[in-house]
Amino acid sequence: MDYHFEFPKDLYAEVRMEERYEIWLAIRNGELDNDGESAEVGAMVRVFDGNMWYTATTNSFEEIQQQLDALAKVAVPNPDIYEHKVVKEFEVNRDEIFTYDKESDLRKVTRNQWKEIVDGYIDKCVDPEDPEVTFWIGSINGQHERKRLITSKGTDVAWDAQCCGLSVYFGFTVDGITSYGGFNTITMTVPELLGHEKEILKKKAMYLDYAKNAKDVEAGEYECILAPIVTAMFTHESFGHKSEADYMLTDKTLAEEWVLGKKVGSEKVTICDDGRLLHHGYVPYDDEGTKAGKTYLIKEGVLTGRLHDAKSASIMGEKKTGNSRAQDYHFQPIVRMTNTYMEAGTDKLEDMIAGIKDGVYVVDVSNGTGNSTFVMNPTLCYRIRDGKVCEPIRVHMLTGSVFQTLYDVDAVADDFELFDQYQCGKSGQGVRVSAGGPSIRVKKLSIS
Amino acid sequence: MHKAKETWSQNKSTFVFEEGKLASFSKESNFESSHRVYKDGIVGIHYHVGKVEDAEGYARAEANLVRERPYPFELETGKRARDKREKVMSDQELQETALNCMKYLNETYPKFRVKLKFTGTEYDRRAENDLGMDYRSQDYAIGVSASFKHADSKNVNDGYFSFNMRNFDEKVFRQVADDYFANYETVLEIPEEIILDVTYYGMVGFFSAHLNGEELARGTSLFTGKIGEKLFADDFTLAHVTRDQDCWFNPFWDGDGYVLPNDELVLVENGVLKTGFADKKTAKRYNVEHTGPAYHSFADIPGPGGLSLQIKRSEKTVKELLDGRVCVIPVDYTSSGFDEKGEFTMSIMNSLLFDGEKVLGRLPEFKIKTTAFDLFGKGFIGVGSDQPVYYDKQLLVKVEKV
Repeated sequence: MDYHFEFPKDLYAEVRMEERYEIWLAIRNGELDNDGESAEVGAMVRVFDGNMWYTATTNSFEEIQQQLDALAKVAVPNPDIYEHKVVKEFEVNRDEIFTYDKESDLRKVTRNQWKEIVDGYIDKCVDPEDPEVTFWIGSINGQHERKRLITSKGTDVAWDAQCCGLSVYFGFTVDGITSYGGFNTITMTVPELLGHEKEILKKKAMYLDYAKNAKDVEAGEYECILAPIVTAMFTHESFGHKSEADYMLTDKTLAEEWVLGKKVGSEKVTICDDGRLLHHGYVPYDDEGTKAGKTYLIKEGVLTGRLHDAKSASIMGEKKTGNSRAQDYHFQPIVRMTNTYMEAGTDKLEDMIAGIKDGVYVVDVSNGTGNSTFVMNPTLCYRIRDGKVCEPIRVHMLTGSVFQTLYDVDAVADDFELFDQYQCGKSGQGVRVSAGGPSIRVKKLSIS
Repeated sequence: MHKAKETWSQNKSTFVFEEGKLASFSKESNFESSHRVYKDGIVGIHYHVGKVEDAEGYARAEANLVRERPYPFELETGKRARDKREKVMSDQELQETALNCMKYLNETYPKFRVKLKFTGTEYDRRAENDLGMDYRSQDYAIGVSASFKHADSKNVNDGYFSFNMRNFDEKVFRQVADDYFANYETVLEIPEEIILDVTYYGMVGFFSAHLNGEELARGTSLFTGKIGEKLFADDFTLAHVTRDQDCWFNPFWDGDGYVLPNDELVLVENGVLKTGFADKKTAKRYNVEHTGPAYHSFADIPGPGGLSLQIKRSEKTVKELLDGRVCVIPVDYTSSGFDEKGEFTMSIMNSLLFDGEKVLGRLPEFKIKTTAFDLFGKGFIGVGSDQPVYYDKQLLVKVEKV
């Protein structure tokens, strides 16, 4: 639809309009447990007077002008607002990128078609008579969103994004102890959700083996192989958050610690962020209207860039990167990652494992956090002895120092994968991201 | 055919300070509704964000009967209203209060970079049906959250504190800030005996999973077959509570419209496991007693969940419970959660040492481990009758350093 707003004089103003559709279904222990869909529209209206942002939200696009006028009344008019260093940074773009408005639009898939997909997986991957499986759930969901940002500086960009999720999880009860594990994936289109039966059955077998045979690990420091999904989380948690420039504003200690051009890790380590990729962190224009690009954060072990919004770029005198993102129209944008990954190397996984006398192979992970010390919670680990992968082990936590671990990466494999099943939390906002990487070998990580 | 409607409205005003200055003011007004039409054991539901006329809401709900979502239960018919609001602040009053608090931090603790957020939230929740059910719950609180970093730290963030008050008192804010910042630069040695002092909301989540009636019935709970057994400390009593003072921004009725007798369901009493919990759907499917609660779903039928778990507080203060010992208050930490055996590990990146009266200083990084059975068993010391540090219930438990 065509919208025209009367923006207030002597103030910078912007309107971010969002339309979201969601559908979800879950079959739990044989019963349709969740079955719903929702549609929502909403807008955030923001006004900036050079000192403060004033914001309001509404669920009615018809009320946007009224909200703009109300905010303009409490803000302080500033005739020089367009000379303000942050406002000067805002790009002026006019564009429409609708990738998912034709055949791939998941809104065209009926509820019964969604159900057929999840029913199909349950038929092929779940045996309700299997005595080893005491719990199971198959779930599927889809989200489609359209965004449009219109600013008083002249930007008018509109784009869409979508994602579909599939999860098949099992509980295995052995000697009164129930462990859970399974398969989950997020794709951008519905057809990509099909054909994962082998992966589900493989994961099911691995987690059943874990439930039956996992031994407690002796806490200590181990040489580790991180599988691509674990490297992905390591990349996001250990370094990604450190690269978000809003943490460094006016902070001399961090600015000195993370000077561009400084060597921060092994020359095998190259880390990028790229919001243009059609993955879970796809953001062709960020929530300030900046066009996305590829940002090298670390290139061959040297700090080469960081993630910015207009404010951090203006304060630090660096280039904007298109990383200003809000969870949704309820939130103001802050600096966030998009699709962040460690680039592939040339090493072979088999050789990397063969080179370890006594270590740990971390195959899967549930969640993690990152500061100077990063923490990840693995869900599937194996002991490595004399270059061979041995029994599954029960590991609660994997930790390391960001500063040291980036140097301790001594092998990077050629088996790169990008994973879309991530949601990143920061300052109370969760945003869609993807994270990726190859298998890597780290000389020393703390396991407990 | 019967009709029911549940609505949620929330108005929020938020002031955010960055780098010691007021950076933004936000106003948010939200309204959501769930219209429901019940017919022949099934329910049609229409969930709507924003305002919708009842006629349209019910018509869409009726159209959704085709989804055949089962709800073969009698509808509730109670009447009750709770207004938990004590003092509602205007935006101007909230701004003044927030500015005073930021000024205090800027003047008293200039070495800390604090992202400070003040949010005034007014909430109104209603549920009604054509059989006479009429429930309403209103609340208002000021929520304060502060993430902080010391100027000399290489971390992006050193810690975080937050609390809610229905009648905001700046003195409490200053006291909490003093506790966190006054002796922060003093780095102490990690004590031999580790007594952890934490809010317990995350930790009692263990019970939410393992006392779920479905888990108990299917044998996937660590408590299966153990109802009636003494598993925890003599003075450990745990209940799902919907009393006003313990229930922030949550209604007293559950997703099935059920209201707890006396607002309390005791799950563990003096260390003895008394019962699991089951919503109406779980109770019917597994032939167990219906106790509530059910979680609220505006878009679908309810399911088991929505517990508001409270550990019975000791008559002793935190200082009395410590009895001359010191405790560790984590301010930046990550836990593994409880694993399948109930084991728990926590990596504590930053923490404060507290003697029951004052914070003595900060501790280096370390890890602890325990189990759910030890935490609430031999390691359980109690929840203080007071809340001297972070304006919330302080659980004291003995744990093992890794």
